[in-house]
Amino acid sequence: MTRQDLITKATAVLRLRRDDLLRQELITKAAAALRLRRDDLIRIVRVIVVSVVCVVSVVVITSVPGWGATHALLGIHEPPKASTTSAPLTVDQAKRILSRTFTAAYLGETTTGAASRADLRTAYTSEGLRGVAGRIKLASVQPAVATSPLLAPHPKLLAVSRGFGFPRFIVAQTVAPDGGLPILHLLISPDAATPYRISMSAEMVPPATVKPFDRLSSGSPLVTNSTGPLVTARTGLAVAPTTLMNLYAAQMAFPAKAVPKPPFVADSFSGQVQAGAAGVAKGVASQATFSQVHKVAPNSVYAVRQASGDALVFGVLVRTDSFAVKADQNVNTVANKEFVLLTGKKLITKAATMTTLEFVIFAVPQTTGQATLIAAREQIVAGSGS
Amino acid sequence: MPASTRRALGAVIAGTGIVLVAVGAWIVIMLGPSGEAQFSATSKAPGAIAVPSDVLNAVDVPVRVTATRADGGALLLAVAPSPDARAILAGSAVSTVSGLHYPAGRLDLHASGAGALTDVSTADIWRLSATGAGSVALVVDQGRGPETVVVTSGDTTALTNAKVTLSWADRAWFFEALAMATIGAVLAAFALNDLWQGRLLTVRSNVAKAKAAAKTSEASA
Repeated sequence: MTRQDLITKATAVLRLRRDDLLRQELITKAAAALRLRRDDLIRIVRVIVVSVVCVVSVVVITSVPGWGATHALLGIHEPPKASTTSAPLTVDQAKRILSRTFTAAYLGETTTGAASRADLRTAYTSEGLRGVAGRIKLASVQPAVATSPLLAPHPKLLAVSRGFGFPRFIVAQTVAPDGGLPILHLLISPDAATPYRISMSAEMVPPATVKPFDRLSSGSPLVTNSTGPLVTARTGLAVAPTTLMNLYAAQMAFPAKAVPKPPFVADSFSGQVQAGAAGVAKGVASQATFSQVHKVAPNSVYAVRQASGDALVFGVLVRTDSFAVKADQNVNTVANKEFVLLTGKKLITKAATMTTLEFVIFAVPQTTGQATLIAAREQIVAGSGS
Repeated sequence: MPASTRRALGAVIAGTGIVLVAVGAWIVIMLGPSGEAQFSATSKAPGAIAVPSDVLNAVDVPVRVTATRADGGALLLAVAPSPDARAILAGSAVSTVSGLHYPAGRLDLHASGAGALTDVSTADIWRLSATGAGSVALVVDQGRGPETVVVTSGDTTALTNAKVTLSWADRAWFFEALAMATIGAVLAAFALNDLWQGRLLTVRSNVAKAKAAAKTSEASA
């Protein structure tokens, strides 16, 4: 069978004219309508087809897996880089942490036995744990202090860390339901594997306020302890956090030691501590010699930058009250219920000490001016005597 | 354009179209209407399994991570910022997903470290987590990257013989594949038609020549 025969048979089967099958008529008519010659129309159509094919081919070829267009089509891209200017926690995460921690703290303080200890270890760390243990131990003789500051149902999230370094912190505030003073809390996570726990809590000193921190989504940076007034204004503080704490501890000593040009303004808390020390010294003067020293607890100082450039500086001082009993003297300690509870001793013949933790929080200006105490709490935690 | 060149070009276009149809249709069938692509691997090395951000955050659609233990034991799936995940897994025995193969649906695992696993369950670095026994899934949304998914037993016990599956689903991929198949079909149809037409034109030309030759011979007779 020849080609001509094939076409002839095909036209017969399809009941078409040969020209219809070949579309000669159609192309000729289209060319006439476009006022083109038939050959020109065919050329134009071919050029269009070739162009389309080329474009599609390029797209298809570059769509082969591993080539750029595949990534573009599927939305594949390089993973984003870790931002050092954002918070490592979402707000929800931080709130969940607060809820968990404060629930454990509440349970730890309202139950007894091993479960209580486990809850307290879940909620508190370092000096915070030591302080709450002392508070629970002395609850029967310190009812005012024993009231848990954690009863507030919804702790307010004030600030979280910025960046992926450690230690990390959360600053929160609670207000007791009876309308007491607001309490500031510092929660610390020292490394990736260790959860956030309360490192310290302190009642705000009226009429102190807390300046706003940076947005929670971007977090707030920690100011390193070595940062002092000589560094640039953007990164510095009017006084280095550790220097501030050391000078504050020094000026509270008894017998009193003058601190020239203190970088902090006088406050009611240190005034009460100094007055209390003077009163105790006077009260036991005939039987014992009293002295009091304050030292900054190791690794307890944290400075959190605020949006204004100022910082909140958190620190814990360890106060040691020492009694050196005079020769041939016996001191009856029954009246000091805390001491009796902590040591079991009601009579001291040689010496005695009582250890108190002082949780303090300062607002420190960025460039000039003095730091201001905005929150403070003290808690007796230990005693000894002989 | 010479006829032979035109035919060659038509054949190439037809071939391309057919390939597009085949590949597009195959991807359409593979992905399904939901546009879901799955990859999995079984970790034989003891330790944790990590899905780093290069894989987890490579596409802007949520990824579903499923871990399965053959022995039905406890599982913890958690996602954290990559620097934190690296910090908590530092030194531990970890099988890290280092690549994936499509359409094989296979994940590459790279074993590293030999230390005991830290108990990661109490850490506060995890943005999302899921626990369970036997099989646990976690859907990780995008936008907080770079993040890493860590699969552990929930304590310090090393995982062995655990299967991890990653699934991405994007309906756009299905429609893109469908479009590819459709374009291929149109191209192939066009090119095949052009080839067919060219063949008929050649036949017609031959017939005309034959008729002309016959007329010439009749006239001369």
